[in-house]
Amino acid sequence: MQYANLFLAGLFQAAILFLVACGLQLIFGVQKVVNLACGSFYALGAFFAITAVGLLHQWQMPMIFLVPALVLSGVLVGTVGAPLELLLRPVYRRDPSYQLLLTFGLLLMFQDVFRFFWGAAPRSMDSSLYGIYGTIDISGLQIPVYNFLVIGASILIAMILGLSLKRTRIGRIVRATAENRNMTEALGVNSSKVFTMVFTLGCILGTVGGALVIPTSAASMTMAAELVVEAFAVVVIGGLGSMAGAAVGAIIVGLMRAFAVSLAPEVEILSIYLVVVVVLLIRPVGLFGRSAS
Amino acid sequence: MLNVSELTVDIQGSRILRGISLEVRAGELVCLLGRNGAGKTTTFRSLMGYLRPVSGRISWEDKDLARLSTWQIAQLGIGFSPEESEVYADLTVEENIELPTWTRTCGRPAAERISEAYRIFPKLERYRKRGGAELSGGERKMVSIARALALDAELLLLDEPFEGLSPAIIPLVAEGVAAIRQSGKAIVMAESNLHHVPDYIDKLVVIERGEIIYTGSLSGALGDVEVMKIIAGAVDAEPQT
Repeated sequence: MQYANLFLAGLFQAAILFLVACGLQLIFGVQKVVNLACGSFYALGAFFAITAVGLLHQWQMPMIFLVPALVLSGVLVGTVGAPLELLLRPVYRRDPSYQLLLTFGLLLMFQDVFRFFWGAAPRSMDSSLYGIYGTIDISGLQIPVYNFLVIGASILIAMILGLSLKRTRIGRIVRATAENRNMTEALGVNSSKVFTMVFTLGCILGTVGGALVIPTSAASMTMAAELVVEAFAVVVIGGLGSMAGAAVGAIIVGLMRAFAVSLAPEVEILSIYLVVVVVLLIRPVGLFGRSAS
Repeated sequence: MLNVSELTVDIQGSRILRGISLEVRAGELVCLLGRNGAGKTTTFRSLMGYLRPVSGRISWEDKDLARLSTWQIAQLGIGFSPEESEVYADLTVEENIELPTWTRTCGRPAAERISEAYRIFPKLERYRKRGGAELSGGERKMVSIARALALDAELLLLDEPFEGLSPAIIPLVAEGVAAIRQSGKAIVMAESNLHHVPDYIDKLVVIERGEIIYTGSLSGALGDVEVMKIIAGAVDAEPQT
């Protein structure tokens, strides 16, 4: 029974990780930028969600709207990606090290932004909100409905994203731009607009992930850096640029972490990196990655 | 329609185009003939805004193209089929051809443009649902030209449309080029092989080491010994003893 509980906790972690990794994959797939600032967007979503839930309380809105409010707050604050994308434009066609330095700079700058607006101390919302939707009894285990809502929301977002990329005109233009930006421009596509849209969407996925995690844990200054480590583990395991890889990688990392925290907390991070090392040794492009050739 | 005047282009500090001038009128088929490395692709890449000229002017219906981005040039109605075809492997043939009808919505209705592309390359009709990665070199070339056509372009830049194609496919592509020309669109076709130059071209422009060395009719070039030395590949040949 303990394992079933850990399994569900791992899936919850995976759902959150998937959203952030999905944003990372999307930005890399189209813009070829490894966005180290993805953790900052996650943290920004978390901090902003605390403010949003505070407003919900202030306006005496029923807390049944918690999940929609968290998603909405994540979407709203994620639009900060649009102006931030302008900062990346000078480095798109330069060596990837410039992109890494720039996005790492953003990560550091966001630390001060969080300190300025929310203070240095960890912030959390009323812990009773986690159980606002009640619990489900599964063979004697009381699992918060909130966990299922987040897992469901993550699956829904993945399906909408996948279908949009596959079936809609804008999705096809995004895929074409990802494959060959120069050719797409020769077909009349303003790739700068596509890049702004994709970067903003990538940010929104991160901020929504951060907003959804906040009923279960506090928002803190260190959460951005911690998430970057996990998101990159997901990406390396799944394969850079692959959405399916992000899903599988997130499940592996989420489950590994949940089981390690409970069974062997001293090797929590080590266990994740053991998987990363094994994948890199056996299949360096990741489980779903495509080799350059 | 298109006027290139004294165009000079450098790539990584090396002078590739040295003051070339070129004029294309509406409905004309112009062939830019030159050996590999002569500057044909650089000319096309400059016309499409991928390269910024050092000096000179490129004007399209009195608009200065040298100041515009590639996508803006495409929006003006200049279609480009690159030498490597650059068909999207991740999209189907159908999606490849339809894409420019989503991005350039002015001009004729999308359905008309798409049906024209399939009418000119009927072989593609059978491969509509096939992925770009599953096509042969000749099929990719046809998709690339059909896609540029679907932009509803008034001028098509075709970079080496017959390069690397099997002898069985070349007539199909040549028929397509002839049909596009008959539809009244202007075409500038880059070619390195004299035998692939259609005899119905309106103008031949020969480029050598970044300079235009001949502009005139195909028959005129065939009668010019100096030009023939270059375009027939005889310039580097050692005298026979």
